[in-house]
Amino acid sequence: MGSLEIDSLDKSYGAAKVLKDINIEIEEGGFLVLVGPSGCGKSTLLNSIAGLEDITGGEIRIAGKKVNDLAPADRDIAMVFQSYALYPNMTVRGNIAFGMEIRKIPKAERDEAVHRVATLLQIEDLLDRKPSQLSGGQRQRVAMGRALVREPQVFLFDEPLSNLDAKLRVDMRTEIKKLHQRLGATIVYVTHDQIEAMTLATKIAVLKGGVLQQAGTPAEIYNNPVNTFVAEFMGSPSMNLIPAQAGQGPNGPTLSIARKAGDPLVLPAPEAVAAYAGRGVLLGLRPEAITDEEAADRNARVVETASCRIDVLEPSGADTYCTTDLGGKDVIGRLRADAPIRQGEDATLAFNLDKAVIFDPDSGERIA
Amino acid sequence: MSARTESRPDGGRVLRALLYAALILFAIYYLLPLYVMLANSVKPLEEIRQGNMMALPQVLTFEPWAQAWSEAKVGVAATGLKPYFWNSIKMVVPAVIIVTILGALNGYVLTKYTFRGANILFGMMLLGCFIPFQIALIPAARVLGFLGIAGTTWGLVLVHTAYGLGFATLFFRNYYAAFPTELIRAARIDGAGFFTIFFRILLPSSGPIIVVTVIWLFTNIWNDFLFGVSFGDFDSQPMTVALNNLVSSSGGVKEYNVHFAGAILAALPTLIVYIVSGRYFVRGLMSGAVKG
Ligand SMILES: Nc1ncnc2c1ncn2[C@@H]1O[C@H](COP(=O)(O)OP(=O)(O)OP(=O)(O)O)[C@@H](O)[C@H]1O
Ligand SMILES: [Mg+2]
Repeated sequence: MGSLEIDSLDKSYGAAKVLKDINIEIEEGGFLVLVGPSGCGKSTLLNSIAGLEDITGGEIRIAGKKVNDLAPADRDIAMVFQSYALYPNMTVRGNIAFGMEIRKIPKAERDEAVHRVATLLQIEDLLDRKPSQLSGGQRQRVAMGRALVREPQVFLFDEPLSNLDAKLRVDMRTEIKKLHQRLGATIVYVTHDQIEAMTLATKIAVLKGGVLQQAGTPAEIYNNPVNTFVAEFMGSPSMNLIPAQAGQGPNGPTLSIARKAGDPLVLPAPEAVAAYAGRGVLLGLRPEAITDEEAADRNARVVETASCRIDVLEPSGADTYCTTDLGGKDVIGRLRADAPIRQGEDATLAFNLDKAVIFDPDSGERIA
Repeated sequence: MSARTESRPDGGRVLRALLYAALILFAIYYLLPLYVMLANSVKPLEEIRQGNMMALPQVLTFEPWAQAWSEAKVGVAATGLKPYFWNSIKMVVPAVIIVTILGALNGYVLTKYTFRGANILFGMMLLGCFIPFQIALIPAARVLGFLGIAGTTWGLVLVHTAYGLGFATLFFRNYYAAFPTELIRAARIDGAGFFTIFFRILLPSSGPIIVVTVIWLFTNIWNDFLFGVSFGDFDSQPMTVALNNLVSSSGGVKEYNVHFAGAILAALPTLIVYIVSGRYFVRGLMSGAVKG
């Protein structure tokens, strides 16, 4: 039994279906990150879990208990909003204690709880200030304090860091991660930021147009995307999707990739590609699987090398990104910073085919 | 603006002088009637009869004020404006309080607890603001008669409540439309109900718009003549109606000084309300304007 289970959830606004048959489960202490393009329904899903939006169909269970018909306050959840949503007319203390006040918890107990949370988040000095007298990062902490003080079954975060500047965002990200480890709380977290998703999550759910594309550990999502959408959405620079022709060679299926000059590049392909012989497929390779020869992964089983014309070189400090034309598309590879490769010349690139994923170009679904 | 004038001191100074001259001129123009009223309300009648309305009083007397307040003949009885002043207060204060609270609740529901048809309902309320008073007179009289409160202060309160509600709702709706919905959601998660959210979260942040609404309502209801004269009785007629009776009922000589004093008395409460809270009025209107 999970801490939070979402079962065939549907949500419509009038005729518009915003969420379609969502199934996700998150274990106790898990950290579920919802990602997807703008308007895909992340906030709607979070608000549905919170009970701020009524759902059209399906079931939501928290700690095994069906909560469909419970008010937000009775669902044993707490939420941190993107705008922090601190009550402007109350002090920090008042903000944190408001929920307890509503629930008629005695004053002494409230004070003690506020003190405990304030110590945890290091905001003791701010307790008597109004939200308008706080910096963005401090407001963020107070908003977390208000959620923490409830000790709920599930925490919900809707893009909590997106209003902070880059530096603070990284700090708070680390802090949230530490907090999660310390409290062992179950968290559902919405973000636009892929790095946030990869670093925080124990499970990532990728949504598109109200449909759950894939849910899995960060490594699963990154290494084994189920379709081209997930492949391109996660990771930066995103995965190369190289048009290739499936064929049958003497040693098994092959992929042949057109090059601007010279013969096509022919690579061995997994058995599942055999069914596609004679048809086009998309070969997915992340930039770090296309390297200079010396940087190739020595533990990889299948590494192919080929000479490619380097069109662009972009040094980024630790690595250098190169662009070459394969199958009529710009393909990005990641080289060591000091790789002896020059722009506009041919160079030998190593392709780590252990990491290759292959998609059907029409449906975008994974073949192998 | 100021930065630009500082960078070109000469042209800026001339411009500024012209600007101030124009502003002062307008101020004088608008203040002139008030001056005439004030000056003549503290003159004996003979002095006014000599003809110079603009002159300062040679003999200062507060007799006209005392008369207007408690002795002058209003209609048939020589009661002064005093009883009517209290009539107005007894009508305006409850009406303003009721309409402000209802307007705030309406605005809250229309923006944060929307339901199907909310916009249509709001449109109809707005339409109500623009129906001329005269059209509503007879239906209103029928309703008041039916309820048995015709001629009473509460009857007037009801009529003004009905009329004020449209604008009050408009003010609060526009103000609350800019109020972050996430705050309401946070409060719901904290377990606050409809009225707790209203009183603990929304109202404490509504200062400017409450001031705007109160000033607007107070001024309109206090200054209303038509409803007062149509639905008011001897013991419910407001100040405005009494002032009219005062001016038109004095038999022989026109006691201008008393009339002026009475007129100022009638205008005083709205003036005081505006002076006390005018700063917030402008601020409230501005915040509404900027946030849309
Ligand atoms: N109250 C509403 N009425 C009708 N449609 C709505 C309403 N709220 C949201 N939607 C629609 O539902 C879809 C999902 O919205 P949602 O806010 O969940 O997106 P999101 O994934 O959180 O996007 P973002 O990343 O931009 O925050 C959008 O297409 C939006 O237009
Ligand atoms: Mg959102």
